[in-house]
Formats: sequence, C-alpha cells, structure tokens
Amino acid sequence: MSTSTVSTPAAAPPVEQRSALAPLGKPFAAVGGVLGIVAALLPWVTFGLKDGNWPDKSTLQFFDAPFAVTGFRWHVLLLGVLILVAAFAPVPSKGRVVRALGWGLAVVSFINGAYITVKGGGLGAITALDGDVAFGSIVGLVGGVLAILAGYGIGIELPGQWKVKLSTPVAYLVLLVSFAAVLYAVAAMLTTGGVGTSNPYAGAIFLSFLGFAGGVLAALSGVGFIRWLSVLSEEHRVFSVIVLAACALLLPFTEAGNEYWMTVAANIGIYAATAIGLNIVVGLAGLLDLGYVAFMGIGALVAANFSGAATAHFGITLPFPVAAVIAGVVAGIFGAIVGSPTLRVRGDYLAIVTLAFGEIFTRSAQNDIGGITNGSNAIPGIPPLSLFGAEFNKSFSIGAVKLPAGVLYYILIVLLVAATMAVFANLKFSRIGRAWIAIREDEDAARAMGIQTGKKKILAFLIGATLAGLAGAVFAHKNGTVSYESFKFMESVTLLAAVILGGMGSIPGAVLGAALLFVLPEKLREFEEYRLMIFGLALIVIMRFRPQGLIPDRHRRAELADEDVGGVPVDEVHEVPKEAKA
Amino acid sequence: MSVLLQQLANGVVQGALIALIALGYTMVYGIIQLINFAHGEVFMVSSYGGLATFTLLPDDLKKSPAVALPLMFVGGIVIAVIVAVIMERFAYRPLRNAPRLAPLITALGVSVFLQEAVRVWYPNAKSNLPYPKVFPEGSLTLGTINVPWTGVLLVVLSVGLSVILQTYVNKSRMGRAMRATAQDPDTAKLMGVNPDRVIVLTFVFGAVLAGVAGIMFGGYLNNINIDMGFQNGIFAFTAAVLGGVGSIRGAVIGAFIIGLIKTLAGQYMPGGTQYDYVWIFVVLILVLVFRPQGLFGEPERVRA
Repeated sequence: MSTSTVSTPAAAPPVEQRSALAPLGKPFAAVGGVLGIVAALLPWVTFGLKDGNWPDKSTLQFFDAPFAVTGFRWHVLLLGVLILVAAFAPVPSKGRVVRALGWGLAVVSFINGAYITVKGGGLGAITALDGDVAFGSIVGLVGGVLAILAGYGIGIELPGQWKVKLSTPVAYLVLLVSFAAVLYAVAAMLTTGGVGTSNPYAGAIFLSFLGFAGGVLAALSGVGFIRWLSVLSEEHRVFSVIVLAACALLLPFTEAGNEYWMTVAANIGIYAATAIGLNIVVGLAGLLDLGYVAFMGIGALVAANFSGAATAHFGITLPFPVAAVIAGVVAGIFGAIVGSPTLRVRGDYLAIVTLAFGEIFTRSAQNDIGGITNGSNAIPGIPPLSLFGAEFNKSFSIGAVKLPAGVLYYILIVLLVAATMAVFANLKFSRIGRAWIAIREDEDAARAMGIQTGKKKILAFLIGATLAGLAGAVFAHKNGTVSYESFKFMESVTLLAAVILGGMGSIPGAVLGAALLFVLPEKLREFEEYRLMIFGLALIVIMRFRPQGLIPDRHRRAELADEDVGGVPVDEVHEVPKEAKA
Repeated sequence: MSVLLQQLANGVVQGALIALIALGYTMVYGIIQLINFAHGEVFMVSSYGGLATFTLLPDDLKKSPAVALPLMFVGGIVIAVIVAVIMERFAYRPLRNAPRLAPLITALGVSVFLQEAVRVWYPNAKSNLPYPKVFPEGSLTLGTINVPWTGVLLVVLSVGLSVILQTYVNKSRMGRAMRATAQDPDTAKLMGVNPDRVIVLTFVFGAVLAGVAGIMFGGYLNNINIDMGFQNGIFAFTAAVLGGVGSIRGAVIGAFIIGLIKTLAGQYMPGGTQYDYVWIFVVLILVLVFRPQGLFGEPERVRA
C-alpha cells in the first residue's frame, strides 16, 4: 500500500460554505444554544407512556419545576450552555466545537423525540395533544441543526494545538482527574437505562446518552484537549498506565458494581483482549484474517478438555494456568500453520485462506472431530476458576466490603487485557513491530530493506493466535460451556469490525471498538431483530466516512486521510492506486 | 459403479449452479479486483425475489407453469439487478481509490445487511421456504442414472449462458471495453471507455446470472433459506479462484470441478457429507498455495 502524502493545506477554509453562512455563524450559534436551553426546560411529552412515565415525565414541568432537570434534559441543557460558551468565549477551533456540540444536541433531541413519537403513536406525542403542549424535542432538534450550520459558518479549522507545559505534580493531577472522569463515563455508559430489561426505555436512553457523550467528546477533541491529554499521558506513561489500571479495578465499586454488569464487562474484556490480538495481525502486519475467532475456539476447546468437565475428552485435569498455557501454545501452532500460506499468498487471497480455515474449524468442531468438541452438544459444566478456595463466580468480600459476584473474573480479565495491551505496545515499538508496519505498507520494499518478510508474517499470526488462545481459555471457564456456535464466521467479522471501528493498529481503539460492539447488543435488546442489520450497515458507513476508525493510530493517521480538514471529504484525499503490472 | 455415475451426474448439476454464481465473482474481480462477498447474497435475494413474484401472481396464473415460470425468472433477475446496481453505486464506487481492505470490509457489511434484511423483512424467512412447483417434473433416466429435469435445465442454462457471455466479452464492442478496463483502467479511459458504465454493466451481468441461478436453485432443491447465499457464494468464489480469477472459461471449469469434489468427497471420503465442505476448502487452500493464478489464470501479478 503506497500512500501519497496528504496535501491539504493546513487551514483551508471551506470556501463555498463560508461565503453563504459566514455572517450567520455566531447568530446561529447563539440562537441554537438558547434553543437548546429552552428545549431542556420545555415539556417533551404530552401524555404518560404505557410503560410508565418517560424518564422525568415533563408535561408542563416548566411551570411547576423549572429547575428539576435530570436525565436527557440535563444533557440537552448542558449542550445548550456549552454551545453558547463555545460561540462567545475564545475557544480554539470554534467552528469544529460548535458543530460537534450541535450534532450532540440534534442527536439527543432526535432520538428522544423519535422514540416518544413511535411509542406515543404519532406526532401528537411531541407537539400538542388534549390541551398539553410539548415542543421540547422539536425545539432541541432545530437548535442542534442551527448549531451545526453555525459551525460551518464559523469555519471548520484543524483541532486546536495546546502548548501548555505542566510541572509533574500538576500533570499527575490532571491525568488523575481525567481518568477518573473516564471511569465515571464508563460506569455511566454501562448503567444508563438500568440493567438489561428492567427498564423498558433502556435502549433509547442509552442511545441518547451515546449522542451526548459523542458530542462532548468530539467537542473536546476539537478544542485540542484530547490530543493534549494523550501527549501528556505519553510523557508520563508509567503513571498513566497505573492510574488507568487502578480505574479499571475500581469499576466494581461504582454504580456498575453488580453481578450483571460485572459479567457484561468481563465478556467485553475477553473480546477486547482477542481484538487486540487480531489488531496485531490486521492492524500492524496488514494481513486480513477472516477466521480469527477459530483460534479463540481452539484455546477454549483445549482448556475445556483439560478442565475436568464431565464430557472432557482427556482424562486428566490440569490446573488452570497450565491449561491456559497449553491452550495458547496449541492456538499459536495452528496460527503458524494458517499463517504459512502467507509465504506465497497475498492480500485478498490470504483473507480467503483464513476464511477457509475458519470454516474448516467450524465444520470440524460441529461434527465432533476426534471426539474432542462434543459437536452440537457442546462441552458443558466446565468448573469455574478458584483461587485459595474463593470461587470466581461467587461474590467475594474484603473485610467489610462485599463485592458482587463475578468480580474476580472481572479482575482476572482486566489483568488479561492489560497484559495483552503490554504485549501489543511493546511489540509495536520494537524492531518486529516496525518490520510489520513496513510489510503492511510495502512488502517488496520491506524485503529489499532486509526484512525477512515470511518469518515476520508467520510470527504475526503466531502471536495473534496465542493471545486469542489465552482469551479462549478464560472464556471457557468463565462461561462454563464451550460450543462451536460461539466461534462462527459472524464472530470473526464482529471482531474485525471492532478493530476497524476503533482504529487499526491502535490499542485504545481496539478496546473501545470491542466495548461498543459488545455493549450495544446488551443495551439494544428491544432492537434485537435489527441488530445485525444495523451492524452490516455500520460497516459500510464507517468504511465510507471514517475508514481510519474512531481512535486512529498516530502512524495511520498520517497515512490515511486526516480528519475532514476544511470540508475536504476523506475520500477525496485518496491513495494513488497501485497497479504494478507484471 | 452406478453410485459413482450417479454422483458424477449430481456433481455436474451442482457445478452448473456454482458456475452461474462464479461468473459474477470472476468478472467483478477481473475488472476492479474486488472480492464481492455480497455476490452470494445477490443470488439469495434473487431466489426470494422469484418466490415473491410467484406469491403476488393471481391464482389462475399460478396454475400455468408456462406463464408463471418465466415471470419468476423476470422477477428474480430484476430484483438481483436492482440490488447489484445499488450496491455498486453506493457501497463500492465511493471506495474505488480507497486502501484495498476498505472495499472488502464494505462487501462483508453489504453481505450481512442483505442477509439480515431478507431474514427480518421477508415473511417467514426464518425457516426454509418451499419453492413453487412450476418447474418441469420427473427426471431424465439414462441407464442407472437419474437426473431431475430441473437439473438438466440447470446444466443447459449454465453452459449456454456462459458460452454467450464468453462470446460477448470476446466479440462485442462492450466486451472489448470490459477487457480493456480490466487490463488498465486509466489507459482504457484515455481510449474513450467510460469505466463507470463498464463496471456497472459487469455487476449487472453478474446479477443476471446469479438471478438465473437463484430461481433454478429453488427449482432443483424445492426449498430455499437465507444461508444459501453465503455457502454457495463461498463455493463459487472457490471455483473462480480455482479456475483463475478473471477467466470466464476458468470459472466454469472450476465450478464443475468443485461440484464433483463436493459430491464425490461426500460419497467416498471419510466423514461423508458432513465433511464435503471441508474438502472444498482444503482444495482451495492447496490451489492458492501451489498455483495462486489458478488453472487458467494469467501468472500472478504483484499486488499490494
């Protein structure tokens, strides 16, 4: 893959848009912000929904409780105020910030409005009905759209660059506060809308929260805060890693600290670890693997067979650490075998070889090959892990503090993810990692530079598969059942989507991608039917508009198109198609 | 011996079906180097389109196969073409200059989307749907071999259409434009070829053939399900690779080989039909490793 350097001038103004909207920028932003605030205080619903009141049923609430603003209305209010602040305070990259906040406001208003409309059976639900009026969502949506237009009017510039240098203690404090905010945001993301099906509005509330969080994060990124924070955390890497790990371990003590969310978080962690492994193969070495979940399956099967479950094939029961190592090794060996065609096969063809391998695995496992997979009956009854007599799936207390059940699995998996991250980061910045990136960019050039491309590519497969095997071993014990059903083609695609959605080659990206793709189904149970369809559509849309992912890797950020600087769509900053003819 | 002959005949029919789908893969890959994962779903959609056409027909027309069957072909093919054109225009065309992984992932997305769209929106699509009995019944008996007439029709259609396609691509003006675009899109453009038109037309041809395959699949097996696209799509892709991607003759011959492997491995290899799938993939991997250009493909070009 050869890439032309992005040649967009640093602050190219969007000429056409500026001419039309420029004078309207600030007024639009002002009106948009005010409308946001007004919308938050207006009533939103003209009736009571049959499942109980829409959160904070707001009919005419403006008159009896003008300041009792909670839930999504609190988000709307906050966004309105922020738009006003951004419009009139000296904020770097003003247009970008206002646009991001405007999107947040529009999305929150639209989601809530649409949901109320659908549930309430018509537009009367969000306008006027039986003498009640409730224009909140419409006013909010208009405000949001105005703010988006205002953003274009003010002009979309590059995100701000902060040059502030901090002394070490202050930097520590900033990092501590920021990561605590991240912890809070994660807990809030998990718990908004309540546990699973207990709240009939969970899906809509969650989407609305995502809209809010996305808007605010994009605004922070526009201001340049996120870039600055990431530079800062890189300067104090050890401290950041410790704080981040501590935050992850503190999650059980937040609102999310109950059995349900510990289980969900642990599942996300397993897939995040696997996604990081896949990121080595796809993100670093650029080898598309469409059968990756098979390695996780192999790890899980090995661990299951050594676990002492009733249907285990081998008569021996090994302690978990030993079984996990064996699982990793076996998966790694298979990884090397699957990777060996890379010596001769490239690009799309390699993707097909991996897909073929994945399918062979599924078929063989389904048919109980060698009696070790138990076919469609699966291997049930794998005992949970235990340490010093504490079973991992029971609740657990330290002194007086009683922790929810499943918390030990959660901690184990946090450690697993941390270990995978460490492996990934060290590899990425090592000689091997640089060799992989070179192979990804141009294999022939890499070989000319003296890289043994064949060995390095097989190594990528081997390491990726080993990590997946380890994750699979934990998966087996945590879920108690191993069935080929969990390791089908769709799972490989989901993992790949997690890597791509987050940003190829980036560690936080893989975790974020896995979190989004595996939390969403938990939250959107009421849309269960459409889940995969939305997922397919999302893949198409991401590839179209943001192929570099949500948190692009720094290197790739330079290689792929930058953010849509100055209104130049990403796809116009294109690669030179490489057509080397024989 | 009679078992062997019967399985050979079954294999040829399977191969004919796979060939119709494989042509779509091979032509698209030949021109824009895209593995169009969603092509198998186009085949599936056309099958449902044909069924929907039949369901919408008035009752008296349903009873006369001479009218209903052609209408089903038309319905299925039209739906397949519409889907393929929309897919090309909105999913693939914007990515024509993107990094190579991007369109492949988009293709996966399109594939998932189409499959789910049919599952959710087509009535009762969650279970196998029976296909209407408007096809010629009975079977052709040659000695000990028994081939349903639908199978015979499938083979005739498949061979006939691929000969027509081959002739078109080799002889016609548009066919020349296609070959030119496949060799070098930029130079072709300089020679007055409109690449967008050529590419759309390629997708349309692929969709028409997949449409025929979709209807005939229903006729031959008597019921359809939403997984048929993915499975047969993979077989077809394997066939295209085996024959040498980009070569029409190669795709057809590759398809017949795959069909024969499937039936013969199901009969004679350990594990039986449960593992026939596996043998196809083993063959695929071996071909890719030892003869990546396929049986009839041009020698490997260096690709990024």
